[in-house]
Amino acid sequence: MNLLNRRFRAAFPCTAFLLFTLLPLAFAAQPPVEADYRGFFGFDSRLVVWIVAELHLMYGAFVLGVPIFAVIVEYIGKKSRDPKYDNLAREFTKLLAAAFSTTASLGGLLAFSLFGLYPKFMGYLTGVFHKSYYVYALLFFAEGFTLYLYYYSWDRLQGRWKWLHITLGILLNVWGTLLMLIANSWASFMMSPSGIDKETGRFLGSTWAAVANPLWIPLAIHRFLGNVAFGGLIAGAYAAVKFLGAKTEVEKAHYDWMGYVGNFVAIAALIPMPFAGYYLGREVYSASPVMGNNMMGGAFSWTFILQAILIGALFIGANYYLWIGMGRIAGAERYGKYIKYINLILLVCFAIWLTPHNLPLSAAEQLAIGGQYHPILKWLGLMSAKNAVVNFIILSTFFSFLLYRRGNKGKPLPFREHGATAKVVLLAVGVVCLGFLGAYAGHLFTLDPASLDLSPDKARYFKFPGLLLLIQIGAVFAALALTFVDRGIHGQALLFAVTAASAVFALGVYGFVVMEKANPFLRHIAVSQFLLVIACLLANTFIDIFLFKGAGEIGGIRWGKMPVRSQYTLVLLCVTIVMLMGLMGYIRSGLRENWHVYGIMQDVSDTSYTPTMAYMARVVGSIVLVFLASIAFVFWLAGLGEGKAPALAPSGEGAEKVQRGRTK
Amino acid sequence: MKRPFLGVTIFTVVIVLLFVYIGEVLTKVSGEAVKGAGHGVSAVGATPEAGEAIFWRKGACYTCHSVGRRGSSIRAPNLGESGPLNMPIGARAALRAQERTKQGRPMAATDYLVESLAEPGAYVVEGFKNEMPLVWKPPIALQPDEIKAVVTYLQSQGGTVDAAGIDKSPFLQKLKAAAATAAAEVAEAWKPYMPGDPKLGQEIFFSPESPVGCGKCHATKEKGGDVGPELTHVAATRTPQFILQAILEPSKEIASGFDSILIQTKDGRLITGIVKKEDVASITVADSQGQLQKIPKAEIAERVPQKTSLMPENFGEILTVKDLHDLLAFLMTLK
Repeated sequence: MNLLNRRFRAAFPCTAFLLFTLLPLAFAAQPPVEADYRGFFGFDSRLVVWIVAELHLMYGAFVLGVPIFAVIVEYIGKKSRDPKYDNLAREFTKLLAAAFSTTASLGGLLAFSLFGLYPKFMGYLTGVFHKSYYVYALLFFAEGFTLYLYYYSWDRLQGRWKWLHITLGILLNVWGTLLMLIANSWASFMMSPSGIDKETGRFLGSTWAAVANPLWIPLAIHRFLGNVAFGGLIAGAYAAVKFLGAKTEVEKAHYDWMGYVGNFVAIAALIPMPFAGYYLGREVYSASPVMGNNMMGGAFSWTFILQAILIGALFIGANYYLWIGMGRIAGAERYGKYIKYINLILLVCFAIWLTPHNLPLSAAEQLAIGGQYHPILKWLGLMSAKNAVVNFIILSTFFSFLLYRRGNKGKPLPFREHGATAKVVLLAVGVVCLGFLGAYAGHLFTLDPASLDLSPDKARYFKFPGLLLLIQIGAVFAALALTFVDRGIHGQALLFAVTAASAVFALGVYGFVVMEKANPFLRHIAVSQFLLVIACLLANTFIDIFLFKGAGEIGGIRWGKMPVRSQYTLVLLCVTIVMLMGLMGYIRSGLRENWHVYGIMQDVSDTSYTPTMAYMARVVGSIVLVFLASIAFVFWLAGLGEGKAPALAPSGEGAEKVQRGRTK
Repeated sequence: MKRPFLGVTIFTVVIVLLFVYIGEVLTKVSGEAVKGAGHGVSAVGATPEAGEAIFWRKGACYTCHSVGRRGSSIRAPNLGESGPLNMPIGARAALRAQERTKQGRPMAATDYLVESLAEPGAYVVEGFKNEMPLVWKPPIALQPDEIKAVVTYLQSQGGTVDAAGIDKSPFLQKLKAAAATAAAEVAEAWKPYMPGDPKLGQEIFFSPESPVGCGKCHATKEKGGDVGPELTHVAATRTPQFILQAILEPSKEIASGFDSILIQTKDGRLITGIVKKEDVASITVADSQGQLQKIPKAEIAERVPQKTSLMPENFGEILTVKDLHDLLAFLMTLK
């Protein structure tokens, strides 16, 4: 990397620092006042801010998501002493360093746009948050310095200094997460304001009270997981493009492996995403029933059909990539027979997920189906059916991953050979499951119906999910016991079967009963389903780790032996998650409708209406293309200074030296 | 461009275009395309039609309530025949009022309906949660006349519309008083450029020779046309700034039930107006001159909601500053 490039990159954090520190000074003194607007050279101001904010958000997601798994990969490299991990972490970080300055520039542009086009609104927001601006700017400075220190000290901090380097990586994540939390507080404040007088909008004086608004943490959790999945899939697509253009088998093997790691990271983050999404949705509803209803039953309900299509593409694509990948693993053909069933489950589940509850029908169409609703499809459009299939999708994807993982594994070792540690760890997992399943079952058995505005006799509807949670505790311990007596695979199967029967089928159907008889209790059904599935994922993951620890290998993984369609699948996943992020950004922001700060400061500009989905899709589609084109350009720029040395194979000997030579 | 990169680029563009296409399809399938922008809608006319428009749009009532087979929400009681007691809300209200009276709060059916909107937590239907927001507060922020309109819509569901009864309801009186106080506070801070003469303003409003002729479309105390909203009590619920803006920029906020539509007939005719009546076979619209036109639905090729008001946009050019202030002074007497 040449010096000019370094100076160029370092200039951005400095500029952004000045921007974030000087601008608030101009606005901090202003009291909250009525909104006022400016135009943007004849263009729609809302559209300008929409585009810039979305681009900044996408770059931000990449810049915050990648360091999380880069440092984990580096740590694995340190522990395993395998240079392939270290080189992969370095390559991820190279992309990060390249994208960082663009993120900062877009952040500056966003700040300029907001202060320029929405001066009164930003005056109000600054009046509330100006103290957090300074902290943000300082953290941004720390993030920039740490990132460049982390990247440029890679060669220097090797050997006994490696821990210091990993610490820098952790520090980078700490700054990044804090930055995200601060920026999230501004966005979530706009949705669920706190720390102000609700009647007048007057700031009460505590910045912390405004930061810690009801949607702050739910949004942060959702965004954190989204950023990791986003970063993983962008890196995966980068690897796919490199793979497709690779000239040698060594290069192909390296980028195949990089693509696999990117996809693995994304799946790991995607699996808990529906739960985080449900939590966020629930808190949106709790913060404002009007906003919540508008989200799930009002103007935005149809955007969730589009969301279901995109998430469907993500899960099916990620599974498909794993199945193709099994082709390069000797021994994985043993599990090929299960794939068609998993595929069928995924397709049926997604068909149910994207079934709308009702459609605007003409009189003739209503007559044809006998009413406003289709006699069968109307059930599939309800929340209970959707919760059931989401849990089934998660279980199926997890099952798919376990099949992939054991593709080339031979017979497991007897459990006693893993020593006491294995028993202690598995029992600890069992106790954790017992803790959260038992606690929630206890909560359900003692729940006061009056707290849900239900009559006392409705308490009988709380028992069944409580009972299923207790049965799950039994299933977890049965699976652990089977593992101890070398029947771990049967234990896993038992746990999968019990979880699917409880969380998907029993509670899926029971949800309809609850909707009819004790509707306010429905959210507890969803939480029960979530806990049942989490217990299954947790216990089965640890059982799997010990089950195949030290097991013989039937054959190696032939890295690089992947068909072209697998790489296009990675590209599809990348484009899909970028579109999904664009869509979710629109939904989150659009839920405020004609309010800058929900219920406090009204948006009285000409564009204070909710656009149609068609318009939204055109705007988001354009943003996605601009983002992908720009990040491809940034990655190309990042590679300009490098030589043409071949990339490393995942397990190439002496590879570290080659890689060092490339980046010096 | 290298071949793999070109392939990936084309693939990416195709996926994005597919996304855009799905967005277009969902807009058509969901019926979103005919809804148009809905935030700038408010009601002045307290009629079941205006109430229906508020119920299904600005008021966001539909996000929790269905009305019979219309809508799909189940969070709150269905307000049609398939709701509690197997009665539509207009009829059900009488029984609920009896129940409320037994509970020690005597009221008539109309009072029950007004109370449901003004103080939704006062009575919660069994099996449902006490979670209805105060619709007269932000973010929904319905005006008293809009609440009145919604109540007339609810009364029209199996009951008798009783606009006078709604006005007498103590709950609405309380809301109106609060709204008037808030409006007075705002009005106090705002001063017109010059004083106006209400008598001259009334002449401008009703005179056939007047360049604006507001009375052709608007009524005050049963005098005038019914194309636009009735303005009998407009000053009681609207600030002078709002009224002034409604005159000079009529499209900025269009009253519920008074959105205009553009109809293109199969023989190529274009008709713009406000829907006054619609059934399975035909649609009747009032044009800007107050003329009614009945169009058989079989003749309609396309029907597009308009974002602009039917009211002319050029009053700022036609009226002098003095005329405008006289007109405003007259409108401010309508309380």
